[in-house]
Order: sequence, then C-alpha cells, then structure tokens
Amino acid sequence: MTCTIGIDIGSGAVKTVLFEVDGDRQTWLAKRCERIRRRDPMQLAEEGRDGVLADAGLDPSAVDYIATTGEGENVAFATGHFYSMTTHARGGVFLHPGARAVVDIGALNGRAIYVDERGKVLAYKMTSQCASGSGQFLENIARYLGVAVEEIGPLSQSSEDPEKVSSICAVLAETDVINMVSRSIAPADILKGIHLSMASRIIKLLKVTGIKEGTALMTGGLALDTGLIAALREEIANEKTAVEIVNHPDSIYAGAIGAALWGAFRHGRLAALQAQAA
Amino acid sequence: MRCFIGIDLGSTTTKAVVLDEQQNVIGRGITNSRSNYDTAAAIAKQEALVNGRFHLFRQALAQTGALNGQLEGFLAQLERDFRAEQYLEQLDDLAVTCQRSLASAKFGDDAKVVGEALDEVFRRIAAEAPALFAPGARRKSDFFRDIAGSQYLAAGEAVAKELGIRYDYLLNVFDRSIIEVENRVYAGSIRRHLLAALERTFEAMPGTAGRRTQVEAPVKGILDTEMEETYVVGTGYGRARLPFSKEHVRSEILCHGLGAHVMYPQTATVLDIGGQDTKAIQVDPTGIVESFQMNDRCAAGCGRYLGYIADEMNMGLHELGPLAMKSTKTVRINSTCTVFAGAELRDRLALGDKREDIMAGLHRSIILRAMSILARSGGIRNEFTFTGGVAKNEAAVKALKELVFENYGEMTLNIDPDSIYTGALGGATFAWRAVVEEGKTAEARA
Repeated sequence: MTCTIGIDIGSGAVKTVLFEVDGDRQTWLAKRCERIRRRDPMQLAEEGRDGVLADAGLDPSAVDYIATTGEGENVAFATGHFYSMTTHARGGVFLHPGARAVVDIGALNGRAIYVDERGKVLAYKMTSQCASGSGQFLENIARYLGVAVEEIGPLSQSSEDPEKVSSICAVLAETDVINMVSRSIAPADILKGIHLSMASRIIKLLKVTGIKEGTALMTGGLALDTGLIAALREEIANEKTAVEIVNHPDSIYAGAIGAALWGAFRHGRLAALQAQAA
Repeated sequence: MRCFIGIDLGSTTTKAVVLDEQQNVIGRGITNSRSNYDTAAAIAKQEALVNGRFHLFRQALAQTGALNGQLEGFLAQLERDFRAEQYLEQLDDLAVTCQRSLASAKFGDDAKVVGEALDEVFRRIAAEAPALFAPGARRKSDFFRDIAGSQYLAAGEAVAKELGIRYDYLLNVFDRSIIEVENRVYAGSIRRHLLAALERTFEAMPGTAGRRTQVEAPVKGILDTEMEETYVVGTGYGRARLPFSKEHVRSEILCHGLGAHVMYPQTATVLDIGGQDTKAIQVDPTGIVESFQMNDRCAAGCGRYLGYIADEMNMGLHELGPLAMKSTKTVRINSTCTVFAGAELRDRLALGDKREDIMAGLHRSIILRAMSILARSGGIRNEFTFTGGVAKNEAAVKALKELVFENYGEMTLNIDPDSIYTGALGGATFAWRAVVEEGKTAEARA
C-alpha cells in the first residue's frame, strides 16, 4: 500500500490531494485548494501538504511519495516532479473513466489532451504565446463589471445577444470592456461574447489533437464555469464533431490527482527495482 | 478670455490642454478614462481649466507682489487643499453609493453587518484623507479610483477581519459602485471648493493671512473671469465616441505629430509609448505626418506592460525605472505576452535572479518592440522625440538610447516632462489654427 500526495501549483491556485494506492484500488483521502492571490506558492504547497495530512489524520512519516506538477519544480520537499500534460491526462481519466480528451483551462494557459483509456497522452495542443482567452482574462473583466465569480455563469447564460469579441489581450481587456460599457452593452452580453470567443479557441485546440468523437472532460479553474460549458456546447453543435463536453465537481484537482497517481506508480517501480538489486 | 482646447481621449488616461490667444499653454489636465467618454472628456477639460486658473492666479499674484517669496508655497498648499476638498466630496458620494449598491446585492442575512462594515471602512478612509494631501505625501496615483480604491481595499481587509465577514462582499460592493461614482462630473462645486481651500490655506500658512485682502482680490477676480471655450478638438483612442462633430475630431497620429513638432520644431521622428499604443511617426519640417506604424492590440511593448509588472511586484509604476537603473546585468526576457512575462518574472525571482536585473530585462524588452515598430515606419531620423507616459521612465530611456545608438548612431533625443500631453497639445493647436487662421467660429461646435 502506497500513501502519496499530489501538489499542482498553477498560476491561480495551489491544489493538493492525498491518495492511498493498493494495486488497482485508488482511495482519495483528502483535498485542499488555495487561491494564490499574491501569496508565495511554495508556502502554500507546504500548507497544502500539512493540511491534507491533518484532514486524513496521518503522520508525515506515513507518506511514501510527494509528487508535484505545474510550476512546482522547485518544491524542496517533493520526491519528484511530473509534466502537467501527463498529470492532467491521468487525473482526468481518474475523474471520468470514459473521457477520451481532457481540456484544461487555467488562469494562464489552456490545453487539450487526447488520451487513451488508461490516461496515456496520445496528442496534445496548447495555447500560444498570448494569455487572451485565459481564466485571468475572464476574471479581470468580471471584476471590472462588478460581477462576483459565482454570478458569471448564470449571467452569461441569460444573454440573448452576445457581443462578439475577437482576440483581445488579457491585459488590455479592461479597456475593451470600458469601450463596450460605453456603447451600453449589457454585462451578460459581454460575458457571453467572451465565453463564446474562449469556446471557439478551445474547440480549435481540441480539433487539432485529432479527437473526432467521445467525451471531453473539462479540468482546471474554469471547468465549473457553467457559462463557458454552455458556450462550448453551443460551439460544438455548430461543428460536425460528435464530442460531448462534460465536467466534474472535482475537476480543479485533475492535475494534483494525476501527480499523486503517477507518484504512486513511480514509487512502486522504484521499490521493485530496489528489491531486485538487493 | 478666449481659450483653445485639445482633448486626447486615450485608452488609459484622458488629457486636455488649454492654449491662450498667443498659443501659450496655460493649463493641462489629466484624468483616467472610464466607461463614459463624455465624462472623461468633460473632466479632463475641467481639470485643464482649473490648472489654467492656477496659472492665472500665479501671474496675477506675481504681479501684485502680495506673496513675495511665498508665492509658490502658497499655490502648492492651495492646490493640495483644493484636491482634498474634491476628494472628500467624491468619498462621501462613494459611501452613499456603496450603501445603495448593498441594498440591491444579494447577501441575504449578511447584508446588515456588511452595511456596518461599510460605515466603518468609510469612517477610517475619511480619517486618513488629510494625510494623503499633506505636504510631501506620496500617492500611488492622482485619480480618485486609484486612491480611494487602495484605501478601501486596505481598510476593508482589516474591517472584514475584525467583524468576521467575507472580504469578497466588500470588494463586490466597491466594484459595483465605483463605476457609477467615477462617471459623475462635479462641475458645480469647483468654485466653492477653491474658496474653501483658500480659507484652509490661510490657516495652514498663518503668515499669509495678514495679506488676505491683497491675495483674495486677484484670486476672486480670476474666478469671475470667464474662460471661454472657443474651439475644442478631440483625438485619441476614444475620439469616435466623443460628443463632437467631425470638424472637431483629428486622428491621434496627426495630433501627436503636430504636438511633437510644436514642442520641438526640428523633430523628424516621433516615438510615442502610451498606455496601450506604441506609435512611430515620421513628420516633415512643418509637422505634417509622412508615415507611421502602430502596435496591434496587445499590451506587450506598451506602458500597460510596465503597469502590470508593477502590480505583480507590488510596487508603484514610478518605482520600476529607478530599480532597473541599479542593474549590473540585464536578464533576457523570453515571453512576449505581458501576462506570461509576469509569470516569467516570478520564475526568475524564484530562481534567484536579482530584481533589478529582471527589471532591466523587462524595460529592454519593451524598447525592442518599439525599435521594430520604428524600423517599419521608416527608421529613426534626427531629431528624434520620445513622448507618452513611458518617456518619463529613466530605464526605458536608457534602453532606448543604447539601442538607437547601436542601430542608427548618434541622434538628438528630445524628451519633454509634459510629453504625456503631446496629443492634446496637437489637438489644441488645431483648435487655435481653426479659429485664428481659418476664422472658424464657436458656432461650429457640436
């Protein structure tokens, strides 16, 4: 039996999970998620580790492997680091075993990963050198409009006349919104327009990976944005692909889960090698 | 007196310049651009006219000699007192508006305690106000949104903790209210505020109170003088939405070219790095634009890039340049996107690079972008003028000088301390020409 911690350091939040792995049986014991908000991610990683251990009532010595992913390469107490493409794939398939694609939209980056049934990466595509269409971008706009994060989805879905936005810079977004507000465009229509623009980029990413049918699971910070999900479904209806978009209440933990599971796997392999050598 | 006004409605700030009959700049005003362009233009103009009145006070008081030796100190105090009066009026408005927003927010049972928290927050901010306008006080910005915003965030965080309520609620109430408040023009109260400020200044500088009548008479005389808006020309990012007829609108490129020419008649090439535009303009010896190039809609290479970095570092924008100047080794920044550069900055810091060296790299990165825009516009010719908000940043200027020398050799580089007003100055010059040279009349106004 292996006790393993996965820590996903994103640009917006640090996610930590604790797993117990016994052969094919994977038991999720604890989870923590902390928004960074100008705090030190390394400090939050430590708090996450201590937090999940406390929640599960475990002693630090019980942990066999601490795996990091995302921007977590420099975590001093980690046993190993995994590339986020592989952790999101693995975590996504854990959350939704039927998923054939994992679409991760975080604060800065977006990526679509085509996976097999065991969570192996078959192909992937990432957003380019520009943060437009990221979670940060949406958050900037919502704040300017005075819309609370939980209101974004419902408000966007109430729009009947979305304002078309093309590629806008995440940093200049506020100016563009000022411009829209000055033209008396309603917040709902602005948000919906942004959701549609993000959705069309995400669908493009997804198509490039080569997936034609099956289920795509949304992960990352924006996975629970109902406005974005609705926009994705609308956009996909216009395309001739039979891909179904789904999300999961624990979608934000996908990277951390994948890291924990890969950590357990690597720990098992290392233990086997050591036994062989001895 | 007849005034000729140019308004440059930029993406971040709106600037106005007032010229007199002899084409002298008598007033400059600046405000932040906001969702209502009419308001932004009206406030920038109002600020420039207020600044114009101060210019006239200075002239008149210098003539009478009533404040010999104390004139500058008196005017500086008067302006601080005037700003404090304005700030308090807007703050009261914000407090009332926040309570109104709270009534329409869906906070359920928490609404009552949030209301109490708001009262406490505003009580604290008002108490801190005098210190903000004290002599030598440093503010992050001069705009109400920024000053009140940072005060509110700090006080809100403390009060939320003390009362055990969600800080998010207070943030949300502020976000809901600030747009409404900043879109109000408080034109009616300027005279009242100036007179109240005058009283405060006499109190703050008791030595001047003895000459009260000699000081008051010219000040009141100027307050009674009408500053007639003979002709207004608008330009900038938001020019198409200004409430002006076509006659009164000129492109940014034309206004920046002419403004730079008015400041430096020998100028051949102009580089303007503003909040979200970078423009390279070639002008002929009469100030007419020959060619130009601009950035696309991306913040990399614009002033906003530095603003974003300043936020990341939790520093004031004006502190970045001096920090970068301490660098001994420039770190190469690879990200093009501003948001990614912010992430790269965090990585670099985590890897142990020095803050000043990373800053130098970020400044160089902006100027490299500008160099490519300049090259596309036809290169750099003598004399070369650098304008816009970024021209105030010494590290950006240093990087520019180095790169210009490497690529083009020795050039005369002009930078005016008021270069942020270049577009508005061009607009005001067009307004002056329309009336004085072409005989157009005020009736042509929209």
